[in-house]
Amino acid sequence: MAPSYILLVEDNPDDLFLASRIIGKACQHEILTARDGEEADELFRRMEQDESYRQVKLVLLDLKLPKISGLDLLRGIRGSAKLQGLAVAILTSSDNEADQEQCWELGVVDYIYKPMTVDRLKGILSRSEGAQ
Amino acid sequence: MIDEEREGAGASMLYVEDEADARQMVTRMLAMNYPNLTVYSADNGLQALELYRQHTPEIVMTDINMPVMDGIRMSREIKVINPDVRIIAVTAHSDTSYLLSAIEIGVHHYVLKPLNYQELFTVLDKVLEQIELKRLVSAQHRRLAQSQRQLAAAQRIAHLGSWQRNLAAENMDWSDEMYRICGVEPESVPASYHSFMERFHPEDQAAVAESMQSALDPQHQPDHKFVRVVRLDGSIRIVRLDVEGVRDGDSTIGVIGTCHDVTELKEAEQQVRSLTEELERRVLQRTSLLQVTVSELENFSYFVSHDLRAPVARLEGFCTALVEDCGVCGHANCRQYAERSASVVQQIKQIMDAFNSLTHLARCTLAIRDTDLSVLARDILRDLAADAPQRKVEVVIAEGARVKGDPELLGKALRHLLDNAWKFTSKTERGRIEFGWSDRHGVRTYFVRDNGAGFNMKYAEKLFKPFQTIHAPGEFGWAGTGIGLASAHSIVLRHGGRMWAEGEVGQGATFFFTLEPNPESGSYLKES
Repeated sequence: MAPSYILLVEDNPDDLFLASRIIGKACQHEILTARDGEEADELFRRMEQDESYRQVKLVLLDLKLPKISGLDLLRGIRGSAKLQGLAVAILTSSDNEADQEQCWELGVVDYIYKPMTVDRLKGILSRSEGAQ
Repeated sequence: MIDEEREGAGASMLYVEDEADARQMVTRMLAMNYPNLTVYSADNGLQALELYRQHTPEIVMTDINMPVMDGIRMSREIKVINPDVRIIAVTAHSDTSYLLSAIEIGVHHYVLKPLNYQELFTVLDKVLEQIELKRLVSAQHRRLAQSQRQLAAAQRIAHLGSWQRNLAAENMDWSDEMYRICGVEPESVPASYHSFMERFHPEDQAAVAESMQSALDPQHQPDHKFVRVVRLDGSIRIVRLDVEGVRDGDSTIGVIGTCHDVTELKEAEQQVRSLTEELERRVLQRTSLLQVTVSELENFSYFVSHDLRAPVARLEGFCTALVEDCGVCGHANCRQYAERSASVVQQIKQIMDAFNSLTHLARCTLAIRDTDLSVLARDILRDLAADAPQRKVEVVIAEGARVKGDPELLGKALRHLLDNAWKFTSKTERGRIEFGWSDRHGVRTYFVRDNGAGFNMKYAEKLFKPFQTIHAPGEFGWAGTGIGLASAHSIVLRHGGRMWAEGEVGQGATFFFTLEPNPESGSYLKES
């Protein structure tokens, strides 16, 4: 069986560590990371080519990222024929209401204020797996 | 009027005749025909002169040929006393030698002897008519002179000069005040059109000429201009110039107008204007200072609500990791410290939220509407009572506290005050909470009063400071972050009001507040 992944787009090493820890506790999926918007974007391009996006169970997306913002990445995902069905959850510490509204409009499975908890992630995964 | 004249209204006459019979007869006839004519009679010139000096009658009718002093000599004397006297000479044909003398001294009329009454009455009527005419003319003169004096005084008092330009004669009349406004003695300069124009400031002469010209147009509507008059000493007066055409049928025969010296008025106006401008400048200055402060606050709260959130969230994440991963550690302190750290992070987050909600009050946009505080207070107290059905609190609400304000914010302020009262009466046996209003020193003042725990007035200053409480934590249930009263205070300030409190330990507390009657909608932040 091909491995399944959770893609974590996060620039801050502490947040990366904390999120990875929660992912490790909540599920068996492997963790793919991108450290800024551009890296994430390149990763998405590759996944479109080699079809590996099919193995991505969830994208955890920070909004405030270097180079390309989380919101723009989300728009790119929704605009791509292959990626548009990806489950994306926002993981942020900002309480900007306008951001949150746009994210819901672009279709996200959750909007999480940091820090993420094991229970919250389990909830998301069970919902999105049920939906698949 | 004519009848009265015929009867010799108010006039008097001296009648001199040496023949007693004739005198009595004529006097009787006069009394019958001229009942209003006072007649003094004398039988010779000397006696007549004496009577004349006493009564100075307007008419003298005299015989010429008399003993002691004849009519001619007497008339001459009387003429000296009063040149205006009207003299009627009664003469016989034989007196013609006196006639030349009579004409010389100005005897106006004569009647021939023997007397024909019809002839006498005709002459007398004529004389009386002349006297009456003269009286009328002099009365008119007096009235005219009085009007002119009044007009001149009125012009002087009002600083209003008048003038008229007569086109046919190419001359002008100026009132005395017109001269004075121009800073010259009346009639000390020629009142010509040229001289008139010269009085005005060179820059205003064209405007004056234009007004004078347009007034000639029969369709011209009266209007006015403010122009400058330059006095000989160089000082400048501001006058309001009003010009109108003088019409004679379809043609314009002149121009009439006024110059009203309004220098002081204009100066006062200018003062008011510059004061207003100064005030506006200051308001602008203060507003921009305020805007700077508010945008600093805005930046600061952005920092707290966004930049600080991320590290605090990280700290929270690590605390959770500590509790979860190190809780099983054999060392008892590890779990305890981890849990306490987690609780401290919760406190930090609460303070950040409280801070954000406080700064929001200073920044948010006010939506001013008619708001009934009595209704708001009743709803809040009903909710409080519903949440704590076991408590018996007497609630008193004064009706009609209608104000202009932001209903949402004022509701929050009232909620904080009433929450406070509710909390601090929780240990009072017969709790009582009152919302009311009164007029203190002419200012509508609202209050929330309770008979609860109260406070020591020496801590009154601390009441409205955020994050400060004057009761020990937990003394009255969960203490919260201590921003309730600070928020209420902030909301009242945003409404241009004031808040203060009075209290005594164990005797309850009263929170007072005022509101600006007409607060402005909007916020201090610049529209961006």
